[in-house]
Amino acid sequence: MSAARQLRISGGTVYDPANGVDGRVRDVCIEGDRIVDDLPAGAPRLDARGMIVMPGGVDMHAHIAGSSVNQGRRLLPEEHMADPVPAPRLADGAAARSGTGGTIPSTFTTGYRYAGLGYTTVMEAAVAPLAARQAHAELDDTPIIDAGCFVLLGNDDYLLRQLAAGEPTRARDYAAWLLGVTRGYAIKIVNPGGIARWKAGGGAERNVSGIDDPVGSSSVTPRKILEALAGAANALELPHPVHIHCNNLGQPGNVATTLESMRALAGQRAHFTHIQFHSYGGEQGKGWTSAARDVIEHVNAHPEISVDVGQVMFGPATTVTADGPVEYLLHASTGRRWVNIDIELETGCGIVPYSYKETAAVAALQWAVGLELFLLARDPWRVVLSTDHPNGGSFLSYPRLIRLLMDRAYRDEQLKHVNQRMLAGSALLDGLAREYTLSEIAVVTRAGPARLLGLKNKGQLGAGADADITIYADDPDRAQMFATPRHVIKGGVVVVEEGQLRRAPTGRRLTVRPEYDAAVTRDLERFFDDYACVAFANYGAEPVT
Amino acid sequence: MSPTARTVEHVTCLGCGCACDDITVVVQQDRIAETRNACALGAAWFGDGRLPQDVRVNGRPAPLEQALGEAARTLGTAQRPLVYLAADLSCEAQREAVALSDRLGAMLDSVTAAAAAGVLAAQRRGRAGATLGEIRQRADVIVFWGVDPAERYPRFAARYAVEPRGLAAPRGRASRTVIAVDVGTGRGPADADVRVAIAGGDEVDALGVMRATVQGRVAGDDARFRGAAELARRMSQGHYVALVADGEPGAVPADPDRAEALVTLAQALNAPTRCAMVVLRGGGNRSGADAVLTWQTGFPFAVDFAARFPTYRPHAGAAALLAAGEIDAALVVGSPASVPEPLVGALRRLPSIAIGPRASAASFEPAVAVDAGVAGIHEGGTAFRMDDVPLPLRPPLAGPPTAAGVLRSLRERLGA
Repeated sequence: MSAARQLRISGGTVYDPANGVDGRVRDVCIEGDRIVDDLPAGAPRLDARGMIVMPGGVDMHAHIAGSSVNQGRRLLPEEHMADPVPAPRLADGAAARSGTGGTIPSTFTTGYRYAGLGYTTVMEAAVAPLAARQAHAELDDTPIIDAGCFVLLGNDDYLLRQLAAGEPTRARDYAAWLLGVTRGYAIKIVNPGGIARWKAGGGAERNVSGIDDPVGSSSVTPRKILEALAGAANALELPHPVHIHCNNLGQPGNVATTLESMRALAGQRAHFTHIQFHSYGGEQGKGWTSAARDVIEHVNAHPEISVDVGQVMFGPATTVTADGPVEYLLHASTGRRWVNIDIELETGCGIVPYSYKETAAVAALQWAVGLELFLLARDPWRVVLSTDHPNGGSFLSYPRLIRLLMDRAYRDEQLKHVNQRMLAGSALLDGLAREYTLSEIAVVTRAGPARLLGLKNKGQLGAGADADITIYADDPDRAQMFATPRHVIKGGVVVVEEGQLRRAPTGRRLTVRPEYDAAVTRDLERFFDDYACVAFANYGAEPVT
Repeated sequence: MSPTARTVEHVTCLGCGCACDDITVVVQQDRIAETRNACALGAAWFGDGRLPQDVRVNGRPAPLEQALGEAARTLGTAQRPLVYLAADLSCEAQREAVALSDRLGAMLDSVTAAAAAGVLAAQRRGRAGATLGEIRQRADVIVFWGVDPAERYPRFAARYAVEPRGLAAPRGRASRTVIAVDVGTGRGPADADVRVAIAGGDEVDALGVMRATVQGRVAGDDARFRGAAELARRMSQGHYVALVADGEPGAVPADPDRAEALVTLAQALNAPTRCAMVVLRGGGNRSGADAVLTWQTGFPFAVDFAARFPTYRPHAGAAALLAAGEIDAALVVGSPASVPEPLVGALRRLPSIAIGPRASAASFEPAVAVDAGVAGIHEGGTAFRMDDVPLPLRPPLAGPPTAAGVLRSLRERLGA
């Protein structure tokens, strides 16, 4: 075996906010798959003079693999026909794979495109436990990036039974067991209780409307679900706290529910995801308004809370979520193609391909709300950049989003062209002068999400960190700069060289395996015997022997 | 049980798309002696587990290395190679086969092409569905549309849709209303609570009337469709309706309009109530091929790599290209016995390679045949239930080399 690879990235301007480095010219040294303090003078060099060096990007919330994502892929043959992707030519003639793009690219293309964008870690944000084996198989076919799975809880029958029975400890043991057997990384809640109601059949109540609505039993409410799972994540000392998609996504007036959910968990660590979709004032049938200010002020004042924005970008998107009732409403109101899949005893899945148009009042409002949230955020470490890919737009639109944040003139020009009908009262319309700095961008795209995910060796360039590094040619057009990194290094391997994808190593899977009282598995075996259609022994995503 | 017997529990049966994973297999002297819980179809699929383990080139026994060399030469020099995924492959073998197709610039198709009507309808319109276990938990009204699952999906009613207790069906069968819709000669289950008859030629129109009725639109009062309209009203009043249709080809060629009308009826029923449509699929991990092709290429079947990237040719797949004489070499992976007859005839006229269970006995007389095991009996990995739920395979027997392994060796020879 050859000696550990060494590389000195010399003379670049380094942005490493986790280590207090804000645009300093210094060398970054790599040995093997780690960053080291220094290397011998003769070590190979990569000349980064005039370039910008950052840790590899960390996407903490995207939908890239698993049963729902693949149902979405299947629904988009015309997008895939329109965006064919030949196999990249890798160094040394190594095998590479062709694929297709669009809003939900094929797996290999997903890995190549994330790496080409300078992202080296991605979290798949909604894995149905029943289909976790598929999510991992797809991630096995998604090269380069390190990936983890957020596992869906909060509408699952077993959990709701424990809450109804007043057994929060058993609920915690169950969550711990489930994370282990599904090879998951964090607990994800989607529309707590709302999907369970949607699946419970016809009738007037097909969703919850607030966090105190009963779900089956009067003692089970979205509030109870949030408290139980947030408490479980914190008690289990998971690296990432509970990751919450609130009730009433996309509905006018949902700001009340969002703030109530945040208050329900006051004092506890919790992450609220794609809050752009949860920051609307107004009323059904009476129009929408921006309530971004109310939400972000609450976030600013509560250091235990973190969020990602879920920005909407104009152009094609595919809405794909476990939140089945929301997608039904989108289908019913637009007449677009619609997939719904109720997933036994656990969760749901809804998909509607969509397009956000500048000329549409609601899309323009959503776009503005996202930007307001970013621009009014006081602590970038807790306000992460995301589009909830592919829901608000593809991850390929991140560079344009970065330019919107960094370049006020560009932003104001865009603002002129969007439908203004619902923007009255939006802070954006009042003129937000803020422009993100490169250091702040480094926080919201890598250092911040890595810290919130508890990935100590990611999102930073200190000695011992993973050698995941992105090097950009400095370009005043920040969209151009962030879209086309000159070099990307993943785990010490130079994957993008002079702007070309050259290597495609296998990424790692990020998992947790919290401890639990084994008594829960005996109870679960009984539950499986009574209700499940999959053998307890065959459940999950672990290899069978 | 003899002292030499061993049992393997929680085995997944791929005899049909139900993928029952509660089979206990008893193995005695390297033969399957018993398959507990399996239905007759499943027991026949397991058989005793004996398989030929031959490698043949031009009908004569040959070393594996020679066969792989010959296969690589044939495929590597072909102008328009076809890779065809038959049944009885693990997802791992399917993944290898897609990789090989990508390397070869081949036309890639699968047995799903025969069930294309439903797949294409779901691409045009989407679908309202559920995993089978959710039907068990919720459905109070189950409509079998021209299909009796007892024939090709024997444990469907016992395990999923009809008999078992569920959250909203505490008394099992007694909590549910079963409606048989007899469409032409396609009969619903004999023990249904309600029967509705629809003439074969009226099917698509009847579905249209039903959708209009569900949506509260006036649909005329044609006596031919009164039964259908009444059925639609009955379904609208259900609490959670399951609409069960067969996705696999039957005696009558699949009609794209029919497939689309079923999808849109199921979707429309989600306004007045909840409804999930179940599309019954055959065995041998057919659904797995759709899933794997979709995640690796973006398309579920009929993927052409000739342009060095995936192109979707749902109306010009393996059957059409073979019929037109455009294919000059073919690789058939999986059980040759599952390849539809029209393709078999065309394959006889080509240099072909077969890798899979009983490849050496393939009726299309492949130039190169490598016997491999059956996924789920001799090969492990992952397979999908008809509703896209992934399950692990627990092969009770060792067997010939695995299809995934043989494909990997072939791919390495082709430098990919």
